[in-house]
Amino acid sequence: MKVWVDRNICDNHGQCAIAAPDNFSLDADGVLQYKEDFPDADLEYIEDAMDVCPVQAIFLKGEQ
Amino acid sequence: MPTTADTVPYLDISASDFAMASEAVRDARDAHWYARTNYGIAVLSYEDVSTLMKSPRMIQGSAKWPQHHGVHDGLFHDWWAKNLLVLEGEDHHRIRRLANPAFSPRKIKALGDRFDELANELIDQWIDSGEVEFVEGFAAPFATRVLCIMLGIDEDEWPTINRLASTVGAALGVNIKAEIQEIDAALEELHRYADQLISDRQQNPKDDFVTRLVDASRDGDSLSDAQLQNLLVLLIFGGMDTTRNQLGLAMQSFIRQPHQWELLASRPEELAEAAVEESLRVNPTTRWVTREVVDTFQHKDLTFHPGDTVHMFTYASGTDPEVFSDPTRINLEAERKPHYAFGGGVHHCLGHFVARSDMQAALPALATRITNLGIVEGGDEWMPDSGNTGPVRLKIAFDKREASETAQG
Ligand code: HEM
Ligand code: SF4
Repeated sequence: MKVWVDRNICDNHGQCAIAAPDNFSLDADGVLQYKEDFPDADLEYIEDAMDVCPVQAIFLKGEQ
Repeated sequence: MPTTADTVPYLDISASDFAMASEAVRDARDAHWYARTNYGIAVLSYEDVSTLMKSPRMIQGSAKWPQHHGVHDGLFHDWWAKNLLVLEGEDHHRIRRLANPAFSPRKIKALGDRFDELANELIDQWIDSGEVEFVEGFAAPFATRVLCIMLGIDEDEWPTINRLASTVGAALGVNIKAEIQEIDAALEELHRYADQLISDRQQNPKDDFVTRLVDASRDGDSLSDAQLQNLLVLLIFGGMDTTRNQLGLAMQSFIRQPHQWELLASRPEELAEAAVEESLRVNPTTRWVTREVVDTFQHKDLTFHPGDTVHMFTYASGTDPEVFSDPTRINLEAERKPHYAFGGGVHHCLGHFVARSDMQAALPALATRITNLGIVEGGDEWMPDSGNTGPVRLKIAFDKREASETAQG
């Protein structure tokens, strides 16, 4: 499973970077950078990030 | 693009006749992306509010509010210094990380039916009289009882919670120093409510919001009793006045646009979300959000320096004609970009899913039951249109909708 951000919706609030800092961060200009892959054990944090995104721009893709 | 001092507009934001929703502010925005004010820089255009609101080179900027207004000790002073809004960096993020799951949109959505029942219960109380003072008859009890429902406080206690929250809310006004004794006393009572809730849920866990906060843990970390107490009080403080005011402002906007009200009444479920977003965009209670610069940086023609105060004007940015067509009017059927009435970045409103879901219950419930709205002559009184605004009183005359009219809703 991978995590994916819809850049058309994302508004760079960075709440995902608070919830799951190993996968998401804002760069010096405040633009979201993220990794699609994450260890299974981090799914809980990824889900927290999905929940907390103010504009609901984060999705999971792949098998489950 | 060189800019000389005299092409940058100036706004005197403490003048007694200053208003955010005014020609002066709109003209300033149309002239330049920011204005100078007697108290910091005001960012006006949508594009620049959107960028700077979330800039990692600024912090929230309200930490010294009590000190700036002459309050140097006491309960409010101490509580404020530790609340989420003014904490920064890891101190802030840690609390948000632990609190966020309790605010998950799925969990909040589950309260939607309860919010809807509450709205209708309040409407029942005055629907047959053709007139209602909307703040007292709807906005205040609705906003307060929503918090009671969420926090598991007995709803019958809403008048007390409302009075305490309003008293503490006065701390955000410039008269904080004169009122600090009452503010501290009310805050102490709110702390007692919070204490009771915390110790009750620690002993008798339930499937509810406060239990989720009490039980929240991550990597062996959890919220201390003092942090839980501070946060619960912040939710009441940050959730009550804002929601009450926003509901009143939404009514003001829809009264100006009866056609849009009828549209909402005809498709309440479909247009609930747009109704809430559009009223936040054209008539936000949080007229500005403040930031303080921490790093020197350049944005367009302006250099920001550490310590600079920067205001993001939400009304000006939400009605920017560069981004919104017919910008000051609600259009429930238009595609709109997001507004910034809930702030943005790491301090983005923690309670926005709650506020959105309760207002998405309130506005359609009202629209499907009352029509032909008008403000009763002399029946309205407003807070100044500068800081957080809204109606003090809002007497509305209306017709009860015939049952057949709502059949399709
Ligand atoms: C229409 C209703 C509301 C509006 C317009 C509103 C607006 C705001 C704004 C503008 C901020 C500051 C954001 C920033 O500096 O970027 C904020 C923060 C906050 N709000 Fe709301 N709010 C509303 C309702 C609520 C509710 C119902 C709750 C609680 C249940 C709540 C809890 C909070 C908290 C805890 C913060 C601090 C977040 C942080 O600093 O991390 N708000 N809100
Ligand atoms: S929280 Fe949402 S909007 Fe913010 S950076 Fe992450 S994905 Fe983008």
